[in-house]
Amino acid sequence: MNRVRIALAQLAPKLGALEDNLERHRAVLAEARERGANLIVFPELGLTGYLLQDLAADVAMRLDDPRLAPLLAETHGVSAVVSFVEESADHRLFIAAALVEDGQIRHVHRKLFLPTYGLFDERRFFAAGDLLRAVPSSLGAGIGLAVCEDFWHLAVPQVLALDGAQILINVSSSPGRDLASTNEVGLGTATSWRTMMRTYAQLTTSFVVFCNRVGVDESISFWGGSEVIAPNGEALFSAPLYEEGLFTVDVSLGDVRRERIALPLLRDERPELHVRELQRIVDERAGLGPVDTTAEPGAEPGLDIAPLAPLTTPLER
Amino acid sequence: MTAPRGEGTGDGNVALFELPDELAIDTAVAQRVIEGFIRGQLRQAGFERAVLALSGGIDSALVAYLVASAIGPERLLCVLMPYRTSSPDSKADAEAVVHALGCASEVVDITPMVDGYFGVDSDASALRRGNFAARMRMSVVYDRSVTWSGLVVGTSNKTEGLIGYTTIFGDNASAFNPIGDLYKSQVRQLAVAMGVPTTIIRKAPSADLWPGQTDEGEGGFSYPMLDRLLFWRIDKRRSIEEMEALGFDRATVERVDRMVATSEFKRQVPPIAKLGPRTSGIDYLYPRRRPGSARG
Repeated sequence: MNRVRIALAQLAPKLGALEDNLERHRAVLAEARERGANLIVFPELGLTGYLLQDLAADVAMRLDDPRLAPLLAETHGVSAVVSFVEESADHRLFIAAALVEDGQIRHVHRKLFLPTYGLFDERRFFAAGDLLRAVPSSLGAGIGLAVCEDFWHLAVPQVLALDGAQILINVSSSPGRDLASTNEVGLGTATSWRTMMRTYAQLTTSFVVFCNRVGVDESISFWGGSEVIAPNGEALFSAPLYEEGLFTVDVSLGDVRRERIALPLLRDERPELHVRELQRIVDERAGLGPVDTTAEPGAEPGLDIAPLAPLTTPLER
Repeated sequence: MTAPRGEGTGDGNVALFELPDELAIDTAVAQRVIEGFIRGQLRQAGFERAVLALSGGIDSALVAYLVASAIGPERLLCVLMPYRTSSPDSKADAEAVVHALGCASEVVDITPMVDGYFGVDSDASALRRGNFAARMRMSVVYDRSVTWSGLVVGTSNKTEGLIGYTTIFGDNASAFNPIGDLYKSQVRQLAVAMGVPTTIIRKAPSADLWPGQTDEGEGGFSYPMLDRLLFWRIDKRRSIEEMEALGFDRATVERVDRMVATSEFKRQVPPIAKLGPRTSGIDYLYPRRRPGSARG
């Protein structure tokens, strides 16, 4: 299938109200199918709301939770990405995004990077995922899933693209902030995200699909602005800010081939170089490596640059 | 570095106020976020109506405009609570807001309450009287919260919150605050955009605790300068040396730093002595609005 109709479900989940959100997802899935969507994307923690704190354990589900069954049943003939709190067999809680197709969970991405700074406190309540994999889909294209903060780490889109993803999907609960009028669309958060997504689409020569929620949890207002970016970095669609909606966008998967032939960045990537140099840095930081021949005298292990004022005594590790 | 704002509002070329460039906000986005916030707070608490203390100043006027726009003026009750020394202009300006919005209003004279406690000829300081009056107004507006069946909306701005120019459990008491993250200059910018009466935007901000009192006279600061100082020092994390490089006077920065530090307690929930396995705010952490928390 060359043409894919993507539906972005820019919803405002109800905080902690799992049953309500499940019902809403089912209704939206049905509507998206009626509108001919092939891929329906819901935002991060769309089934639970974001600012859960101690509620996280109350709304957590195992992947075989019977409450998910009616939702899964709604995905016959389509691909969908839904997000919820996943409880593992050893009772760790993850922020999960699942690729669901034909009533089956094909893949679960557990959020890798849990922001615990500024207004975020995720690491306090959740465990971080350990796996980053692109997966095939019935759309005829590889899918790479990421959750919000995962995209603030450069390696994530690159690894997903190298692993075969042609559509990078980021589901988010991004709180809007930095309302300075100098920012694009008046919002600093939107400026940052838009810059990143266009850059990632171009550098990975992949589609980038971003679904961000709207609505209010406590003090936080989520800004929406969901987007679909083409492999050449061009924005094909930008949803309105702060407004609920189900938005459909048609894309042609042929754009990936065309862009990758014209601009063979992925062909020219050097993953073996990354591995070698990253392994060296990991070893040096752990004090395990051979003598770091490129480091200035006085630099900490793993860092080449010495502090401005030289240490009087060398660091012992 | 700063630009006069408010041209084209029928005042010819006379600027309504001074807006530092770095504080300029996109007022359409701000209005959108704040009105969504107001609706969200009410819905999640199971309320459809709101009540606020309307002083005649710009902060409460702006909040009244925002609430009226968010939920409709018929769902807003503004309570005017003059004291015998309050400026007559304050009441007139508040009435202009009520008239413009078409919302419900009530006037409750707090003079008997305050004077009943202190006595008319008390030598109580202006600070004590001012704080007491602020807490009487809080008591009245929370009582009206029951009769009106509406949540109390806060009207404190970011500037006064940060320097502690507020009465704890008085004017800073509310169910939620839509403008607590807007500096005074930004309050003015949004007030102009929303059509708050020009006389309110133009007049000198005052707690109106005694005749002739003004915030800027009492604090010895101008709001544009203070807003810029707080923005760079707090939002943008600049060191004292970097503040000096930006052109701020070191002694002023240090004085504002002290005001911010000494008023920390006003911005936080009182600490609870930790004894049990789970303690509110420490290791019992729930969103205040969650399933089952809404009234009714």
